[in-house]
Amino acid sequence: MASNPPVSTSQALLSPEMMAKLERMELVSRKIFRGRMKGERRSKRKGQSVEFADFRNYVAGDDLRFIDWNLFARLDRLYLKIFLEEEDLHVYTLVDDSLSMDFGTPTKFLTAKRIAAALGYIGLCRGDRVSVSTFSKAASPMVVRGRSSSYRLLGQLQDATCQNPTPSMEESVRRFCLKNTGKGIVILITDLMNKTGYETALKMLVAREMDIYLIHILSPEELQPKLTGDLKLTDCEDDDMREVSISASLLQRYRLTLDAFIESARSFCNRRSIAYVSVRSDQEIDPLLNEYLRSRGLVR
Amino acid sequence: MTWINMLSPLQWALLLAIPPAILSLYFLKLKRQQAVVPSTMLWKRAIEDLHVNSIWQKLRKNLLLYLQLLFVGLLILACLRPGWSGMNRVGERRIYIIDHSASMQATDNNPSRLDVAKDKALKLIKDAASNDSAMVIATSDRASVEQGFTNNRSLLENAVKRIEPTSQLTDVSEAFRVAAGLANPGRVSFEDNVDIQTAEAVPATVYFLSDGAVGELNEAEFGQLKIEYVPIGDAETQNAGILSFAIQRPESDSALAKTGAISAFARLIQHGSDPVECTASLYLDDTFIDAKKVKLLAGEETGIQFDLEGIESGGLKLQLDHSDALPLDNVAYAAIRPDRQVSILVITPGNNALETALGTQRVMQLANIQIEPLSHLATQEYQTNSSQAKYDLIIYDSCSPDKMPSASTLFIGGLPPADIQPKEPEQPAGEPTTGDPVASQPQTGATATTSQPNAQSAKPEQDQWAFGNPTGPVIVLDVNRSHPISQYLEMSAVGIVESRSVKPPASGSVLMIADIGPIFAVAPRGPFQDAVLGFDIVRPTQDGLEINSDWGIKRSFPVFVFAAVEQLAGGVTEASAPTVQPGMPIQLMLSNRFKSYQIIDPSGKTQTIDRGPDGRFLYTRTDQLGVYEVRAEGLEEPVERFCVNLFSNRESNLKVGLELKTGSESIAATSNTIRARQETWRWLLLLALGLLMLEWIVFNRRIFI
Repeated sequence: MASNPPVSTSQALLSPEMMAKLERMELVSRKIFRGRMKGERRSKRKGQSVEFADFRNYVAGDDLRFIDWNLFARLDRLYLKIFLEEEDLHVYTLVDDSLSMDFGTPTKFLTAKRIAAALGYIGLCRGDRVSVSTFSKAASPMVVRGRSSSYRLLGQLQDATCQNPTPSMEESVRRFCLKNTGKGIVILITDLMNKTGYETALKMLVAREMDIYLIHILSPEELQPKLTGDLKLTDCEDDDMREVSISASLLQRYRLTLDAFIESARSFCNRRSIAYVSVRSDQEIDPLLNEYLRSRGLVR
Repeated sequence: MTWINMLSPLQWALLLAIPPAILSLYFLKLKRQQAVVPSTMLWKRAIEDLHVNSIWQKLRKNLLLYLQLLFVGLLILACLRPGWSGMNRVGERRIYIIDHSASMQATDNNPSRLDVAKDKALKLIKDAASNDSAMVIATSDRASVEQGFTNNRSLLENAVKRIEPTSQLTDVSEAFRVAAGLANPGRVSFEDNVDIQTAEAVPATVYFLSDGAVGELNEAEFGQLKIEYVPIGDAETQNAGILSFAIQRPESDSALAKTGAISAFARLIQHGSDPVECTASLYLDDTFIDAKKVKLLAGEETGIQFDLEGIESGGLKLQLDHSDALPLDNVAYAAIRPDRQVSILVITPGNNALETALGTQRVMQLANIQIEPLSHLATQEYQTNSSQAKYDLIIYDSCSPDKMPSASTLFIGGLPPADIQPKEPEQPAGEPTTGDPVASQPQTGATATTSQPNAQSAKPEQDQWAFGNPTGPVIVLDVNRSHPISQYLEMSAVGIVESRSVKPPASGSVLMIADIGPIFAVAPRGPFQDAVLGFDIVRPTQDGLEINSDWGIKRSFPVFVFAAVEQLAGGVTEASAPTVQPGMPIQLMLSNRFKSYQIIDPSGKTQTIDRGPDGRFLYTRTDQLGVYEVRAEGLEEPVERFCVNLFSNRESNLKVGLELKTGSESIAATSNTIRARQETWRWLLLLALGLLMLEWIVFNRRIFI
């Protein structure tokens, strides 16, 4: 446990102004999950909150404090008042730390870390149970709760670097699923540049009935490549090489392929109730969260 | 239209290998820059469909490659100099006429005028456009097409290089006729009398490379030719030359004649502005015998004379010891004819006119004459000598032998024996039997004519002599002026009492025609010639000799006898051997005793000439200057000599004519620098290829599209 949180680095990810803004936001879960601890989230369980939920017949042994005496007076029968329970929310953030994320200006990984930090901070401020991990450390996530843990969270993210080799997305998600049996929000921040595909990984998460947000992050260099001439393209992850002679038609074909790739990912997510959010790595974090992610329903 | 293939298969292969070479350069030599990307996944998908056409996958839609290929393709096409032998457009027609006559051997241009002309012709051929077709004609006193129309330059160049100098004179009219004829095909006529031109007449340019010593040309012969005259040689070249050289026996009554001396004359000329003084040396069979100093005034002729004694035979050479541009005309040759007398046997019953005609001085010079009576025919001496070809000519006057001798014959009034006269002519109706030729035969040897009437009846009629019966009086209508025997005969006043008609075989010639038909004819018989005169001058009768014709007292009779002796016996009277100009044919008067003769030319080579179909000897290979000797087999001494000399004022005059005269107009010399097409496309092509290479290098190193 880091006792001295690295202030400077956390500031590098999130500015104080930014953090102030984030404190007023909360993560939106489209589902209601059972939490582990008392929190600020409405739970499926009936509990002791002030919010009335329902009535039920009294059976022997029930707590007499919850009997609705007014109703007994009118109907001469015993009914028990049930209140909604408020529990905490599990927010899992999985950041892709493969080498392909280390591209772009700023790098996709930095933007991913900022998003993860911002969303994690929101969760901490709302008393949610926040878990942040990278693909390479999916089996050992850092789980924090409470605003006081925000420095730990930010420090962890700040220290994270792209790893080579990294387990594939599918492998990482499998490890994540095995480790985290609870339910909650999963925010997956990745560029989806995985030659084995992303579908299996997402399906695993869907099978766990989690509320999944996929933040697809792409750099400007990928969206509008500035390549010219006869090139030998090398894949930074597996050193795969492709010889291309860049021409206008080839660039056009690449953009079409990219659009088809994004569209297929979006379509895949939509069919499985996965919230798909496309993000450029050079987008500012403030408008990204306040406007873009808010409009996408991830935060409010 | 027909494609003209300009390249050999190997060249085609090399050219067609260029585009694949460029493609392989694209495959092999492409230097790619390395670029690291987050993932090649999307690129792989982007180029995935291009992989479908596996062999062309690397080519992709590379506009630059296609432009390069197109560029190279066009360059290759340009190299091929494509053209079609179509009807619409043909290249220029060029005709190179190169003068290689004697004057072109002049050395005023180094090494000679002919070499300079050939060099200029080669340059013209090289500079011609590719679609121009050309021909090469070499001309002297005759034209020879060295190369017909072609656009193959190497053929044309080889044809020009093949042209050798000659010693012949110049007559370019034949060359221009040939050029005009080949350049502009003639017409053909069809049955309906419609002339149709066989081909479109195409104007042709004639490049005439000559020194201009060609005389006047006939403009009409040019047709559609455009004449470009390229003068060769220096305008003011000086040259001394011999115009004539001959030997002559003095008149018989002169003092010199008695000493047996002969005179040699020569005519010399100096062309040019400066007088020349030099020595004229005379050689007999290459042995120096005399010399004289001569001064040749500019532009004037000078004569010299040598009196030579004690020379009976041999070849004379006159040489001017003077160095000038044309050594060919500084030498002249003459030859003293061998002392050659022919043997003539005359068998006559007694003919004063004939004996008188044979007794003239000229005939005596020419021939050795033996006169015998008719009884001589029966002697053993006659039999032996006539069969062993001892005589060159036997004259049968009013008689006939049993068989034809091995000699030329002249029958006067008599009929040849049956071996050449096998068939009796048909008896005209009502003729008395006394008109029978047998009856008119003299008593000696006449039996032969009737003894074998059918011996050669199988021979075709046109190969036989045919004789008519004696009829008279006879009037001579015409004589053959083209035959040397009869060319000078004047027969209009000659009276003939009686004559036979004489029809020679198909190979013979009629020399005299009378109202009854031909009465004098000559025909070859193997190496010999037989002449038959259909009437007697005097004929023997029971009362003695009777005059049958008054020809014997006419002037034309000795002329006839001399001509007959000269032509039939091959006699020679002139001391000076005949001379001809180079390339001209010479007709030799040779004895008929030999079937063929050997001619030794000045270089020592021996050639055999055979008797021509008309019984004469004609020699045409007179290309070398010098003395030619004629020898017969078995004889040590030459039987005849003749000389070949240039003797041409025009060839000796080396002043280059700056224009050709063509009747009313003249053709000016083309300027020395002939405007010709200079091909520069090869350099442009090389430049283009260099640019292509540069473009390719830049393309492969470029940073920006």
